[in-house]
Amino acid sequence: MTIRRVALLLAPLFLLAPLVLMTRPPAPHAQGVDVFLNVTGGGTKKLNIAIPEFTLVGGTDTAGATKALAAVIGTDLNFSGLFQVVTATGPVSPNNPDVLRKLWSDFAAAGAHAGLHGLLTVRGDRLEVEARLYDLTSPDQRPIATRKFEMSPAQVRRLAHRIADDVVLQFTGQRGIADTKLAFTRAAGQAKEIYVADYDGAGAGAVTQNKSLNLSPAWSPDARSLAITSFSRGYPDLYRIFPFERRPEQVLSAFAGINSSPAWSPDGQHVALTLSKDGNPEIYVLNVGTGAFRRLTRHPAIDTEPTWSPDGRQMAFVSDRSGGPRIFAMDVEGGNVRQLTEGAHHTQPRWSPRGDVIAYTAREGRFTIWVVNADGSSPRRLADSGDNQSATWSPDGRHLAFQTSRLGGWQIFAMFPDGSEQSPLIRGGSDTSPSWSPRLP
Amino acid sequence: MVTRAVNLLAVSLLVTATVLTGCAKRPAMTQASAPPPAAAPMPPPPPPPVVVQETVKETVVATPAAPAPSPPTAAPATPAPTARPAPKEFAVNANVKDIFFDFDRYNVKPEAAKVLDDDAAWLKANAGQLVLIEGHCDERGTVEYNLVLGERRAKAAMNYLVAQGVQASRFTVISYGKERPFCTEHTEACWSQNRRAHFLVKAQ
Repeated sequence: MTIRRVALLLAPLFLLAPLVLMTRPPAPHAQGVDVFLNVTGGGTKKLNIAIPEFTLVGGTDTAGATKALAAVIGTDLNFSGLFQVVTATGPVSPNNPDVLRKLWSDFAAAGAHAGLHGLLTVRGDRLEVEARLYDLTSPDQRPIATRKFEMSPAQVRRLAHRIADDVVLQFTGQRGIADTKLAFTRAAGQAKEIYVADYDGAGAGAVTQNKSLNLSPAWSPDARSLAITSFSRGYPDLYRIFPFERRPEQVLSAFAGINSSPAWSPDGQHVALTLSKDGNPEIYVLNVGTGAFRRLTRHPAIDTEPTWSPDGRQMAFVSDRSGGPRIFAMDVEGGNVRQLTEGAHHTQPRWSPRGDVIAYTAREGRFTIWVVNADGSSPRRLADSGDNQSATWSPDGRHLAFQTSRLGGWQIFAMFPDGSEQSPLIRGGSDTSPSWSPRLP
Repeated sequence: MVTRAVNLLAVSLLVTATVLTGCAKRPAMTQASAPPPAAAPMPPPPPPPVVVQETVKETVVATPAAPAPSPPTAAPATPAPTARPAPKEFAVNANVKDIFFDFDRYNVKPEAAKVLDDDAAWLKANAGQLVLIEGHCDERGTVEYNLVLGERRAKAAMNYLVAQGVQASRFTVISYGKERPFCTEHTEACWSQNRRAHFLVKAQ
């Protein structure tokens, strides 16, 4: 061929190349976020995502992981409230891009905006997944990102949760919360033991077995320990237990009187708590590293149940200094005390990780869960079927878990911060006092 | 002709080079079509906690059942445990009767005061008896607040008895909040039974 002809042949390719390169997603996070915003318009509309059963590309899948992974990821993404998961069809051969393209086209025609394709390799004692995310709003089904994960086979659910959290990250810029735990108290005869389960209720197991009263679990920000009030030595003392390590419990506080309502500071260095050792229930802050206590409230009224603002500079708490328990706020030195709520009987304040609202329990005949803005404005009721208490926030502030008696006996439910979609989260016992862990490291 | 083709090629190459250079400045990413570059943002294999979780799931009893006297890393200036008598060593005595409270209240009512007067008389006549006062609440409260309310009730009873001349050092107070009810029906008849200061004694 002459140079001229070669040049002409090659030229269009080179002209095309820059076009291909320019339509290549600039960065996975940015492009996924663009797709999400284009579909949802920044409002409440959900992004439809298709998650076919994962494809086995190596090893043998004796445990049905290809199905389980897709199913759990689908549940996680539906739970997030951001996605509508399209039911999967059969597995797809990864060596057949035409089949894959047709599959995505079918899903797109059915309304899917995105597709997740997982390739599973079962290798000895590891599961390896390559997760490929596609933008189905683009006619050429542009890839958004490919990510690789691995996990031991015993942790299939955790693998799915991590993949789901990464999908949420791709589309919103913030990791999901599927890889989290719930701690809670479960009645065991006369006793209450602390249990830990996955956020979706799977794998619940006891982390105390002292046949005593164990109350008020509170996760440390590193998700490795729980502060609890326990009567295991006869009196209400505050302990720190380590559910995931063979590590003995630590005594945090064992003063005369009450040692209760632990609340970790966002930096994990302090625990705020209630002590009555000085004659009256007051709020103190324990420096976990040094063991030093600092007193914050000095008032003859009951002061209890501290909760930190996410910036670590404020606390909300319960005080009956104005007659009857209501929600108050103060700075973390104990100054600038101000009343946030008025009316009935308000307890159990929990400051949202987003900083904008505080959830709390009101007693108005029955028990109901409310939120109020951090400045005390616009209190509104969220949950009022049966009795409802003890709200806890997911680490992204997008969900609340709480205990409810609406089905008879106590059960832990979830809902959105506007009160919508209240549904069971944990089954199997008389469960109370949920605490939602931070994202697992 | 050749020149134009070559020019086109050169321009294409230049454009491509420019775009490629520009793309190189963007954060590294993994493409579905290309082999994953070394800088791909792959999440690392799960850290040790994953492995440890498996251990815990198999051996849930790893948690210490008996109080493990481990030295706490946080060492608060707490009174030695021996300063608090073991609640199990106390027992009910028919001569020291319980008193009951109104809903949400911890004040000693006149009828309760009469009961406490009798309790005080017996306790003064039996100076060798230590007293454990338990504070209790009915179920219509939340866990934490009921813990402090129960303590208020126990202390109110104690303060009354001390004012009647019973030595303060004989008393230990403990609150169970709503966690150790005397009855479990969801009726006022039961609730009023649970709003209580409960007395137990033991010989010194």
